[in-house]
Amino acid sequence: MSEKIVNLAEGAQGFFVKTNRFKTTLISFNFYLPLAKETVAEYALLPFILTSCSKKYPDFSLLNYKLSKLYGARLDASAEKYGDWQLLKMTVSVINDRYSLDEDSLIIRACDMLLRLIFEPNTENGAFLDKDLNREKRKAIEHILGDISEKRIYAKNRLIEEMYNGEAYGVPKCGTVEDVEKITGESLYKAWEKMLKTAFIRVNVVGSSVPAGFFESISEKFSSLERTNIKDCKISAPTKDTDCPQTVSERMEVKQGKLCMGFSSEVYGNDDNSLSLLVMTDIFGGGPYSRLFSNVREKMSLCYYCSASAIRQKGLITVDSGVETENCEKAQKEILNQLEIVKKGEFSDFEFESSIKSICDSLNSYNDSQGLLDNWYTLKINNDGIYSPSDIAQRVKDITREDVISAAKGVKLHTVYKLLPKEGN
Amino acid sequence: MKREIFESDIGESYVKAVHSSGLQIYILEKAQYNSAYAIFGTKYGSIDTCFSVDGNETKVPEGIAHFLEHKLFESEDGDAFTKYAKTGAYANAFTSFDKTCYLFSCSDKFYENLDILLDFVQSPYFTQATVEKEQGIIGQEIRMYDDSPGWRVMFNMLLNMYKNHPVRIDIAGTIDSIAQIDADLLYKCYNTFYNPSNMFLCIAGNVDTDRILKQVKESVKQSEPVEIIRINEPEPDEVLNPYVEQSLAVAQPLFCFGYKEAMEKPNRSVKERIRTAILMEIIAGEASPLYKRLVDEGLINDEFSSEYFTGNGYSAVIFEGESRDPQRVAEEIKKEVDRIKIEGIDKKLFSAIRCGMYGNAIRMFDSVEGIAMQFVDCAMQGSSLFDEIKYLKSVTADDVFKRIALLDNNKTVLSVIKPIDSQE
Repeated sequence: MSEKIVNLAEGAQGFFVKTNRFKTTLISFNFYLPLAKETVAEYALLPFILTSCSKKYPDFSLLNYKLSKLYGARLDASAEKYGDWQLLKMTVSVINDRYSLDEDSLIIRACDMLLRLIFEPNTENGAFLDKDLNREKRKAIEHILGDISEKRIYAKNRLIEEMYNGEAYGVPKCGTVEDVEKITGESLYKAWEKMLKTAFIRVNVVGSSVPAGFFESISEKFSSLERTNIKDCKISAPTKDTDCPQTVSERMEVKQGKLCMGFSSEVYGNDDNSLSLLVMTDIFGGGPYSRLFSNVREKMSLCYYCSASAIRQKGLITVDSGVETENCEKAQKEILNQLEIVKKGEFSDFEFESSIKSICDSLNSYNDSQGLLDNWYTLKINNDGIYSPSDIAQRVKDITREDVISAAKGVKLHTVYKLLPKEGN
Repeated sequence: MKREIFESDIGESYVKAVHSSGLQIYILEKAQYNSAYAIFGTKYGSIDTCFSVDGNETKVPEGIAHFLEHKLFESEDGDAFTKYAKTGAYANAFTSFDKTCYLFSCSDKFYENLDILLDFVQSPYFTQATVEKEQGIIGQEIRMYDDSPGWRVMFNMLLNMYKNHPVRIDIAGTIDSIAQIDADLLYKCYNTFYNPSNMFLCIAGNVDTDRILKQVKESVKQSEPVEIIRINEPEPDEVLNPYVEQSLAVAQPLFCFGYKEAMEKPNRSVKERIRTAILMEIIAGEASPLYKRLVDEGLINDEFSSEYFTGNGYSAVIFEGESRDPQRVAEEIKKEVDRIKIEGIDKKLFSAIRCGMYGNAIRMFDSVEGIAMQFVDCAMQGSSLFDEIKYLKSVTADDVFKRIALLDNNKTVLSVIKPIDSQE
């Protein structure tokens, strides 16, 4: 496996991960834009409306038919948070030509389709068409409202909202229902132009070769656009610490309560310097060898799940668990107790080594999945060099117990969010 | 060990071997990959609630297969997770309606991990104290699913589709049913269903077939095969109730709409499954006219999906999603089924869907997890990994059309989860 970067335009890179192990090729367009309440909903709608139709494929049903004919080519869209940035992703993946029973190249056709979807949307007079806009707005609103269905996800989202109230990272990733309702055909068209002109852009190709002329044709598309005011998306503000942690409780018609806790960390950043935070969080609440699993779940039998995860670029650790109301205090106390144990370095060599081995084993598996490789390099724009998952696995092996303890010492409780059953349930 | 090699023109081949104990082994080597994925499983799931061995009939509490899965991780010399922690592998297990599978994936120390897997699944250790501890954990798992609208909408449908078949009960059982489980019952189920003749080992990735087979030979215990008779009351063709609803904390209704298929024989063949999968795409797939109509009218969103739900003694074609008006969606699906019955299948659409499924079948071979999971299907159904690719080249629109007769608009269940406020 090898990687190569090419410059496509000001603030736009082509990134090729050469690997011969797959029967498919994956191509993704990634747009990085500042996360802000005023623009979040419009930007988040773009990947979805753009991958639903275009001038050439004015109707989503026709587009789906074409994808089927392209041997089940997959077209995906997403809008995620990347620290204080919004990451808009549009991906196509298609089986390699040697498996096709047709004469035309599938990959060339799939690339052409993706470029047309992104650069030639179905618009008139500087506006998206009402029929497309209304459909995508309805779906976006239903998606936002639907978040409440899965309580574990809902509770985690609420924790982040409370913890970063008034900050960029606290903005919901697709905006609110009111934000979506305000979008017009014209405003969305302007957002689309702004995305093309001002976003930092990464185009990933993961496969055996870059389709002939693909990167060149993207450069050509950008040459007619004035690319200016491109923000540096490498930096996100670290999580502020507090001496007075807040607790927010909400009641709902549920049987099981959810306990979510957010912590700030002094170690942050999506680079090698914060790998100690990754290991520390894993010892705290990662695999079955972790402090939370073996104590809160196995020894105390309080829950089915209780785990911790780190968002390194924000210096954020979250813990989430599903517990009965009467056990909520007990679980919270024990979670904090386990954190203290990690801070004091009272975790065992077994826990420490298990964590390093587990992280490395998992990183070394990334090369076997196109999707994971695409995501990996999409999230690695912060690094000055190019680091493969295996490179990082090597560095994780160098993390010491002292590094872990030092990272843990900078971790402070910030917010507790509880979703509890209504009284009487 | 008896071995058979299967090859295909997509550049993949695999070995199927049968151990003298009856254990079936499937291995596909991927030399270019870093990782490997292994599953050790048994044909034992939540539907096996009543069975007989040597003429002795046993009825067990609901959810016991899943409970056993949790408990098997503990052995006399410590739990399996602790052993895996020493190698760095990712390990897990799951119980479904008709099987229980123990799995790991790793990019290093594969053979050590395989040793752990083979060892702990063959070393049951249940005590009253460990059983009681697990009742607390599984109790919380059940409560979690009680709050999951996506889970409830499906199980409410099954509960109202089937009158007798145990597919109608929750995989994890209930708080009451798991309270009846004790160590003796667990041993009884273990000794019946975890006999190697009822089990399979499925592996894909950067591995060596000869070495695996040698290891299996050394560590799989010899035991007399058991003949298990699964006892089920006859299931009528009719559904129990055509409509069921429940209120939960959701923003808009969720629905699950299923056609109950009559079972003239216990299981569906690979060909029948593929024909049905194509038919479902023709009825309501993303390129179908019905899908377009439902989206344009604001009746479904990206959550809409379909599933052919079939196993020993049950078979249902299921459409599910979110909708402001689930009744309308169900009516539209019924109308579309009637229309296709009269007008036949659109040949252009059929050919596009077949092409798409062919591509997806090839794509599957990029994932070691995907291959190992498909091997499980092969073991359960007695099929080959390449059957799907082969059959997709020859299946015709007429073959698919014949399947639609099984969809009877009078044998459907619509399950709906409503928002709480709309009822109050």
